[in-house]
Amino acid sequence: MIMVRAIVRPDKKEVVLDELSSAGFHAATVVDVVGRGKQKGIKFGDVIYDEIPKSLIMLVINDEDKEDVLDVIIRHAKTGDEGAFGDGKIFISSTDEVYTVSSGVAGL
Amino acid sequence: MKEIIAVVRINKVSATKKALVQVGAAGFTALKVMGRGRLVEDKAVIAQRRATLLALAQKDDYDTEKLITEFLDGTRLFPRRMFTVLAHDEDVSKIVKVIIEANRTDYNVGDGKIFVLPVLDAVRVRTKESGDAAI
Repeated sequence: MIMVRAIVRPDKKEVVLDELSSAGFHAATVVDVVGRGKQKGIKFGDVIYDEIPKSLIMLVINDEDKEDVLDVIIRHAKTGDEGAFGDGKIFISSTDEVYTVSSGVAGL
Repeated sequence: MKEIIAVVRINKVSATKKALVQVGAAGFTALKVMGRGRLVEDKAVIAQRRATLLALAQKDDYDTEKLITEFLDGTRLFPRRMFTVLAHDEDVSKIVKVIIEANRTDYNVGDGKIFVLPVLDAVRVRTKESGDAAI
């Protein structure tokens, strides 16, 4: 199993979650975060904004679903066809074990 | 070294904290998160939960009913608390066990998930210790 952590624009959160759900990946955790990327934030005149609000979508999936999930997130989190700076990043880490509390059963 | 990420009910936060102290893993980081789980196939469980929640609601108006329905059919994200605990490999099963015990309810749904992730390294800022010594 792998954990996918996607940082996306807050206004793309809803559509990404909806599309993930229709692709069969319903479970997800969402955190509102602030951060900056490679472009060192946004500069307006003399003011630099380097705590840009984003949404972090976290989900744990089976290894074989990785490509599908990445495709859904990238397709819908992108701005326009070309994409733009600030569309976000996706991080993937391995997950050893998963437990459901209500049943105590291991596995997704 | 493992990272245990547990998403639990907000009213189970103090029970979870107590359980963590009990098992000797007092350090944790907690976040307010929104989330949703896998869709429940068993309609009877959902119907039962819906009836209980509606009975709990103060007002019997349309909005409350709509909200509860959306919570249960997965169209709406609901608030949860996310705990992050770092643990030595050998303590993981013990910690997972107490978190499950502390958070289990009779509702059959919505008690949360626990993820166990491998961690490459950890550093204690104060002493610069790294690896297992830093936990």
